[in-house]
Amino acid sequence: MRATWTLIRREVTAYFLSPIAYVVLAAFLLVTGHLFYLTMTSLTARGPVGIEWPMRGLLADERFWLVFLFIPPLLTMRLFAEERGSGTLEMLLTAPLRDGQVVLAKFLGAWIFYVLLWLPTAIYLPVLLHFTDGRFQIDPWPMATSYLGLLLAGAMFLSLGMFISSLVRSQMVAAVVSLVLSLGFVLAAFWRPEMDTSGLTYRLLYFFSVPLHFSHDFTRGLIDSRHVVLYVSVTVFFLFLTVRSLESRRWR
Amino acid sequence: MIQVEHLTKYYGDYPAVRDVTFFVERGQVVGFLGPNGAGKSTTMRILAGYLAATSGKATIDGVDVFWDSVEARRRIGYMPESCPLYPEMRVVEYLRFRAGLKGLYGSARRKRLDYVLERCWLKEVRRQLIGTLSKGYRQRVGLADALIAEPKVLILDEPTSGLDPTQIRETRKLIRELGEDHTVLLSTHILSEVERICERVIIINKGEVALDRSLTDGEATGRLEEVFVQITGAE
Repeated sequence: MRATWTLIRREVTAYFLSPIAYVVLAAFLLVTGHLFYLTMTSLTARGPVGIEWPMRGLLADERFWLVFLFIPPLLTMRLFAEERGSGTLEMLLTAPLRDGQVVLAKFLGAWIFYVLLWLPTAIYLPVLLHFTDGRFQIDPWPMATSYLGLLLAGAMFLSLGMFISSLVRSQMVAAVVSLVLSLGFVLAAFWRPEMDTSGLTYRLLYFFSVPLHFSHDFTRGLIDSRHVVLYVSVTVFFLFLTVRSLESRRWR
Repeated sequence: MIQVEHLTKYYGDYPAVRDVTFFVERGQVVGFLGPNGAGKSTTMRILAGYLAATSGKATIDGVDVFWDSVEARRRIGYMPESCPLYPEMRVVEYLRFRAGLKGLYGSARRKRLDYVLERCWLKEVRRQLIGTLSKGYRQRVGLADALIAEPKVLILDEPTSGLDPTQIRETRKLIRELGEDHTVLLSTHILSEVERICERVIIINKGEVALDRSLTDGEATGRLEEVFVQITGAE
């Protein structure tokens, strides 16, 4: 257990020892900051415009998802591909740790960095909640469900990226392939306007389309168990595949 | 201490190691020789638990390296060929991290850390980034890592490649001293080195053991080279 913790700590610090962490952090804050500004503008707008659910302004925007799509692959591309490329994987896997421990530690390391990425956005919340006279003017529950959704959806994208990274030697290939695969969970949302929302196709796409989950449910304070089950089961599935992929070196 | 029985490893259709059998007793320093591509590194990787053999069996201190891999790895200090390290970490950070992975914490870790830094002449570069170290120093970091958890068995894959003559001499002296309380299996291309450090030599050629015998003290220098060329050169 302590060995796993040692590895988690090294994984998290490794992000801060490479420029990628700072680039991702800066780009991410720029985009969320801009969306926050737009949300504030519509919240304070005069006349018959405005926004009903403030978190939708932040998380249901297509621009947000286009940027979000790039983040997990950038965080996960190095996990195994870098170690395999430079040969340090051999050092890591000959240490007395089970493959499952290595996979779990690397995943949690990436996930902790992902949580750190979201942490600065917490300063928007008191403003959005319109915190005056010692109480919230707006319901805080949608914020909680939005963040819950983000933590789980992030885990899903990260585990997918980690699995791809465990298959290849080049970080670039790992990033591009996991980006393309993650698109499958996002793209459907962009076809929305042309679709019959009562049809079977839409219902199927809705099941996999993460942005729709956010715009319909999480940002409105709803926790739909279907989405949670999808995120958790896909995460567990890819963690399992990553362990298998590491083990495959032994029989190849 | 190290028991290898009928070990065979295929990469696809290509047999890298074929039916290798040898034993290394406690406290022995054994030289593992062979031309490039003979299967030395593959055998060592199997022993270190990185690869699995296609067939055969290997145990370290009675623990099977396949069935009880983690326990076996606890008993091994392994230094891979070319010694890959994380360039963005400092020497001391890296060794502390590796000690943690190997289950060493607190005061025990501090003590072992001081010991290996002293032993591998790393004191003056302890705060330096590994990426800025010369090849010789990197090899020493790799060796320090292998030593840190006080393993019973040391498996060193070409520990002296790429070093200058002074460093080779120092490393050689260190390995001889380590041989007093560790069992050492080391591979190398430098035959004179084997003659000086090792009590026994195993020559492997095309995946098979070609020679396995102890080196008597009286053996004339240069004799091993003849034997080596005879075994590996005969086509």
